[in-house]
Amino acid sequence: MARNPQEIVADSISEFGNGRERIMQILTRVNNELSYVPSEAIEAIADATGVSAAEVYSVVTFYSFFSTEPRGRNIVRLCSTISCAMAGQGEVLDALIEEFGIEPFETTEDYRLTIETTPCIGLCDQAPAMLVNGEPHVKLTPEKACEIVRGLE
Amino acid sequence: MEKKVLLAENQPEFGAGLEKALEMTPADVVYEIRDSGMKGRGGAGFPTGVKWNLAGASSSDVKYVICNADEGEPGTFKDRLLLEKYSERLIEGMAIGGYAIGGSHGIIYLRAEYPYLIPAIEKARKNLMNKGLLGENIKGSGFSFDVEIRPGAGAYVCGEETSLIESLEGKRGEPRNKPPYPVNSGYLAKPTIVNNVETFCAVPHIILNGSGWYSDLGAGDCTGTKLFSISGDVEKPGVYEIPMGAPLKDLLELAGAKDVQAVQVGGASGSTIPASEIHRALSFKDLPPGGSVIVFNNSVDMIEVLANFMEFFVHESCGQCTPCREGNLRLMDAIHLIINGDICCVESLTPFFELAETMKLSSKCGLGQTSANCFIDIINNFVELSGECECGECNCEGGDE
Repeated sequence: MARNPQEIVADSISEFGNGRERIMQILTRVNNELSYVPSEAIEAIADATGVSAAEVYSVVTFYSFFSTEPRGRNIVRLCSTISCAMAGQGEVLDALIEEFGIEPFETTEDYRLTIETTPCIGLCDQAPAMLVNGEPHVKLTPEKACEIVRGLE
Repeated sequence: MEKKVLLAENQPEFGAGLEKALEMTPADVVYEIRDSGMKGRGGAGFPTGVKWNLAGASSSDVKYVICNADEGEPGTFKDRLLLEKYSERLIEGMAIGGYAIGGSHGIIYLRAEYPYLIPAIEKARKNLMNKGLLGENIKGSGFSFDVEIRPGAGAYVCGEETSLIESLEGKRGEPRNKPPYPVNSGYLAKPTIVNNVETFCAVPHIILNGSGWYSDLGAGDCTGTKLFSISGDVEKPGVYEIPMGAPLKDLLELAGAKDVQAVQVGGASGSTIPASEIHRALSFKDLPPGGSVIVFNNSVDMIEVLANFMEFFVHESCGQCTPCREGNLRLMDAIHLIINGDICCVESLTPFFELAETMKLSSKCGLGQTSANCFIDIINNFVELSGECECGECNCEGGDE
């Protein structure tokens, strides 16, 4: 059972402190645990740090890894930059789209999976590559990528 | 030819550089780094010793040492390797930096794409702590230093040092106006040095072996060795360490590049050169050496490559200043026109080249100042336009007039 956003924020603040400079750490914690940053978390961070909710929201929306919309409990980020593109990233993406029935930046109805494309993730020597919940998977083929994603909870 | 220092098999013991530094005065540490001639390994090439000298001279009881581990330049993965295997060296280099400028707080700003490296960094910190090389009163010197890891969240622009600082302060990663420079007013308005992972990793070697040894490794005033991440159409992609100033072709041979059409040096914001120019030197005077080298063979359609890079910049522009926010979009439009065959000749691209120049001159930070590079290089060197002009507006050979 997912914890509620306020609880995650409170825990993060007791660990990191409530200074404004801790906002990225708190947001990262919320975003990792819930797959997105709900408005309740933004309000709680605003209350704790003394920064307006509007400004916290502006921070959330600046960064690609944060989302204000619910996403799947598994997030696949497939690199779309050139070394991966040249190594067959397009076929991998097509296979994922076909098998799981969602386009990039969409989420399955059961909230099991979100697929995103992302700029260079620094795995160009082992292209094509993707991050699945932050863990790297490299030298992908369409079959290999689908198998990894199929195996997620 | 490879010349391994940072990646050498036999490394000096972790902490030996710091112990030696602690026997020197902070000023002598700064001078040693300055005399080595090392320029920042993140790509901008600012002399590290000069940066440290300015921060050291800045008066404040609190100063910060920040490691920029936000490598996001397409094609760059050298810092990933260093963080994975040499985090102790990195933290040691940061501690030496702290001692040199008079700061006790270290922060590693780690890109969101590298969360799996956190255990390696934390382990390195713990190892140094256990050896008494980190923490309070290191080796009885009276100098204290510790580091913490802070996460990015997927923004290329945060590799720019003032954006990085903004992000650390819990704000949108938008570049600041300069001056003031971070050495005077950086993180939380305190004097701050921001250096690349590779820069900090080189510092203990310089302290241990001396500035003269380091400058002899390179060529002329491009001193030391440099790590390059090489990918694309090569047999052995990976990270290679070569002397600064070496010709690009050495690196291409090491990685087994064949049938080369084009090479991009320094990532999407760097230079894209044809195969005829691979004799050129990897140095701040010739091909500015960021961390990335991407090789394209003759089967690659370079306009597609350009489209890929421009999409990257359109996505990563922070949107704060107009030349970058709008300029990248317009260059993307031009690329689509070319791909669709709606642009016939270079002449009709003139407004876009003018725009590229405007972006270079008037963008606020390095992103907008360099994002047009790939557009200029690739269009000029690799894209053949049809020349069959039907626009009736230009004077090209295919034109109506």
